[in-house]
Parts: sequence; structure tokens; C-alpha cells
Amino acid sequence: MDLPSGTRNYDYARDMAVLRTKTHWVLFTCFLIILFTAPLYLRDNVLSVLNLIGITIIAVTGLNILVGYCGQLSIGHAGFMAAGAYTSGILTSQLHWPFLAGLLLAGFSAGLIGIIFGLPSVRVKGFYLAITTIAAQFIIIWVINHWTNVTGGFNGMNVTKASIDGFVFRSQASQYFLIMAVTALCIFFAKNLARGRVGRAFIAVRDNDLAAEVMGINLLYYKLLAFFIGCFLAGIAGALQGQLYGFLNAEYFTLTTSILYIGMVIIGGVGTTIGPIIGVVVIRLLEQLITYISPFIEGAIPALSTGFTTGLGPMLFGLAIILFLILEPRGLAHRWALFKAAYRLWPFSY
Amino acid sequence: MSELLQYVLTGLAVGIVYALIALGFALIWKSSSVANLALGQIVLISSWFTYSMVSGNQLGLPYWIGLPLTIGFAIFLGWVIERFTLRPLIAQPILAMITVTLGVGYFLEGLVTFLWPVSVGALPRLFPVEPVHIGPAVISQQYLWAAVISLVLFGALSIFFKYHKMGIAMRATADDQMAVQACSIPVTSVFSASWIFACIVAAIGGVLVSSIAGITNGLIETGLKSFSVVILGGLDSFIVCMVAGPIVGLCENLGGGYLTPIIGAGIKDIIPYIIIVIVVIIKPYGLFGETRIERI
Repeated sequence: MDLPSGTRNYDYARDMAVLRTKTHWVLFTCFLIILFTAPLYLRDNVLSVLNLIGITIIAVTGLNILVGYCGQLSIGHAGFMAAGAYTSGILTSQLHWPFLAGLLLAGFSAGLIGIIFGLPSVRVKGFYLAITTIAAQFIIIWVINHWTNVTGGFNGMNVTKASIDGFVFRSQASQYFLIMAVTALCIFFAKNLARGRVGRAFIAVRDNDLAAEVMGINLLYYKLLAFFIGCFLAGIAGALQGQLYGFLNAEYFTLTTSILYIGMVIIGGVGTTIGPIIGVVVIRLLEQLITYISPFIEGAIPALSTGFTTGLGPMLFGLAIILFLILEPRGLAHRWALFKAAYRLWPFSY
Repeated sequence: MSELLQYVLTGLAVGIVYALIALGFALIWKSSSVANLALGQIVLISSWFTYSMVSGNQLGLPYWIGLPLTIGFAIFLGWVIERFTLRPLIAQPILAMITVTLGVGYFLEGLVTFLWPVSVGALPRLFPVEPVHIGPAVISQQYLWAAVISLVLFGALSIFFKYHKMGIAMRATADDQMAVQACSIPVTSVFSASWIFACIVAAIGGVLVSSIAGITNGLIETGLKSFSVVILGGLDSFIVCMVAGPIVGLCENLGGGYLTPIIGAGIKDIIPYIIIVIVVIIKPYGLFGETRIERI
């Protein structure tokens, strides 16, 4: 059902290939061309939304590896993102390291902090782990706010724009190329991780960690690896966001953001590569839509309270999480798969 | 010396209120193994509801009408949350159970912004403010009242769980759901009841806290902090909340008092979270919790 009829697996390599048919290749090439020529015909404010979407996709892909594949719930993902953002910010802006080194070290520092707070996952799971990651979120943000001489504390910190070999990514368009390139790399990495040995081990741990241990999967190693990879990607996303805005403040990385990321994973589809992408795009566009239309609604119905604009987003979003969990726990990715199958079988759907 | 006594007394009193809110968590966890991460938001929205009822520039009702109305609201809230979000998810993976409460919390937070956009509110005084002198220490009378009310409420709930039919059914459900169902006790209504009680307890805890410190989004953090009580105590019986709560309160106030000059302002706010991390790493099932043995 996953493939058009007539597609056969003659060898293992072809069985594992992501792009199977000529149509796949054509569509994929078209998509890449559109993706990387978008700055030519899109305005800057659209590009800035796309940049934010790209960064969020990186972070949520990391969270999906942790939650969707390995089953370790983390409600502190924005905290880990902040750790990466500040590492890169300090290295590039204050110590004048090259951007790429800062980016990688941001990933590593976030990953290491993730491992520290992931340590309890070896002994506890579910609610206990969720609470530990919430605690991680608050502790990281507290350290950032109070370590004033390094991070700037509540006042925040200015970050220089990314630059590679003297080329500075100043405009939204150049930022777009940088962010989309990193995003594409991260998705490629996540896809291949998920269908390799590590991904299979993660899935085994998620489905039943005791059974996985009996089968010879090293729980300590794989759980901490999941935390490391998930937080590594969060750190990269944080570093990109810091240099995109040119400014860092703990306000960008609140618990609410962490919950938003969890919701994106759920709405997109837990444990799929396409899920986080769909989830992020849908939620970010929904946010844009709300900020765009709510002034009109407020103008049309003056009786509405002033909290309408700020309150509507969280309400709709919370409702979306609840409804998706109850009605479609496999998320939009599953709907997308159903749609593809129906489309291929049309008009003979039996 | 008077400083120490002061911190100890305040810590104990605050801790008992934390314990009351944590009791709301433990109730649900014990009967249905659902981790209610929306606790802070429930505390927040109940406080705002009370604000609407009793505050001078809103309806301006006296407390003796406003409080029963708040409790009625909490009952309604608990019933709605259980009926429409948790019941369809019975027997789903634990991940779904936890994240749905996150969704509920997010929704309630939005609802609060929507209905009460002012973001800071003050309840009329519930208790006299004159400070009390205990030995060399001076402690605000409000905290003592809050602690006393929490203790009374806790006692009443203990008696309810010990002797009332519903209380016994709830304890039995906590022990073994299958056996309870076999005895023809409706498990779903037990779940409903546990949510309702949890919301009532959280609402009263919220009113106690916010009548002292005002209503802000910080109440969500009060709810989150009370998780440290749950983690430290270990979730195996309700009484441990009452032991662990004051311990957390003591740590928070003593730490806040003596560490602030060394580490810097604000250390008080994250002490509960540090407790969580330490306890989960060293003794994951809490001080009094039983280690769970799992089978494949």
C-alpha cells in the first residue's frame, strides 16, 4: 500500500531506497528546485516565516527522535535549545570563533546537558522523566538569567550574524539558504538514523524497554544516545535562531515553547520523519493566520475582550493537541499516508 | 537565631500549602495513573474565577458565597476534563495520557488570557494581616491560617477516604482496577470523582496562595513546584504528601534565606526543581515510595 503498483523489490538496496519511482525523483527534484529558488520570488516577511519554520523543524526533528522513536518524553526541549543558542552566541560573538565551530559546539554542549538530565531515564520513565525534564527547563533558564557576566542575564545578549569565509549572512534571503541547507541535512540525518541499527534499537526501547534489554540492547547507551541526538539538534536549532535574530534572551525559550514543540510532534505524527515537518509547518502557519486575522475579528466584534488575540492561539493549540490525541493519535502523517494510498488506487479503491 | 526560626516557620506553612496542591495530583495518580501536568493551570483558573466572584471591581460577592461558587466551578472543571479528555484515552499509552494534560493546561492558559486579560489580580483579604510573634520570629498570620486550613482539609479528606463508600472505592481502584471492576464498582465514576476532588483541592490551594500573594501566572509555577513534593514523597500514600510538603517548603525557605547571599537572588525559585533532579537520580521512587518491579 505504501508504493504504486508495479514497484517491486529486486534487491535490498532498492527495498531500502527512500525514492523509489521516477515520479518520486521528479517530484523530489522539483521540490528541491522550488525550495532553493524561493528567495528569488518571495518577499522578506514570507522568508522570515520560512526561516523560523526551518529552525523549528530542526528542533522538533530532534524532539521526535527522543519522544517519537525512543519514547523518552522531554518537556524541556526549549531549555536545551537555549543551552545551544547561548553556547554558540558566546563562542562566536564574545570569543570570535568561526560560525561553523560555534554551531557544532552548540550542538555538543546541548547534547551533553541533555545527557545529564537524561540520566534518570535509565531508572525511571513516563511521568518521572517528564517532571525531570521540566526541572531541567527551569534550571537551565535560571542559570542563563543569573549568570549575568557571561550570558547578559535578563538583559539578553547580542549575537553576531553567521559568517562563513568572510561572507556574512545579513539578509533574510541568505539566511534562508543557510537555514534550509542545515534543515535538509538534519532531516536527511534523522531519516537515515531512524531506519538504521540505532533507529531500530530506539523503537525497541520505546515499545518495551525491558524486552529490548533482554534482547541485548544496551538501555543506558541507547537512551542516553537518544537524549544526546535529540538535544544536539535542539542546540543547532538554538544556535541558528540566535544568529538569525541577532539577539538572545531567555524569554525565547520558555516552558510554553517546549510544550508547543511536543504538540507539533503529536499533531504531525509521532515516530515518523515527515511528521515533525508537517506539524511544524501547520502550526507555524496557523500562528501566522491567527496573528493576521484576529485584528479583523476584533474589529468586527467589538465586544471581544482585549485578551482575544493572545488567548486565541494557546486555546486553539491546546484544543488541537487534545483532539489529535483522541481522534488521530498517529497525527497528520498518517492522514497523509492514507491520502497517498487513496490517490494511487483511485478510481478503483478496492 | 530568630532568622532561622522565621525561615523554618514560613517554610513549614508554605510547604503545607504545597502539600495540599500535591494531594490533588496524588489523588488522580493513585486512582487512574494519570499524571496531571495541568495542575498549575487548574490552580490559576480557579483563582481567577474566585477573583471574578469576590473582587470589589468584579461581582464583589462576600467570600462565604464566592468560595462555594469556586468549589462548584472546580467540580465542573474536574468533571469536564475527565469526561472529555481522559476518558476517551483510557488504556492508551502513558505518553498520550501525559501529553493530553499538557494540552489541557495549554488550553486553560489560553482561556485565562482570553477571559482575564489583565494578567495580575488581587483577591480581597481572606485573613488578617497582622504578623504574629512566635518567640523571636515574626511570621505573617496569613501563612499560619493557610497552613491550618490545609491541615483541616487534609484531615477531612483522610476521614473521607477512610470511611466513606466513595473514598474506599477510590482507594480500592488505586490498588487494583480489575478487582474493583469485578466487584461492580463503576471505575469510570471513580476516575471522575478523583478528578473532581483533585480540582477542588487545587482550587482551595490556589485561593489560599493567591489571597496572600495575588494572582499571576506564577501560580502555574506553584503547581509545578508542588510536583517536587510528589516526587520527594513517592506517591504511595496520601500521608507522604503531608510529610514531603513541609520538607520542600523548609528546603526552599532555608535555601532561599542562606544561599541567596552566596549564589545570588532567585535561588529560592529553583530549589524545588533541584530537589526533583536529585531525588530522581538518587532515589527515583521517592523517600517513602516502593520500588516498582516490572515484568515484560
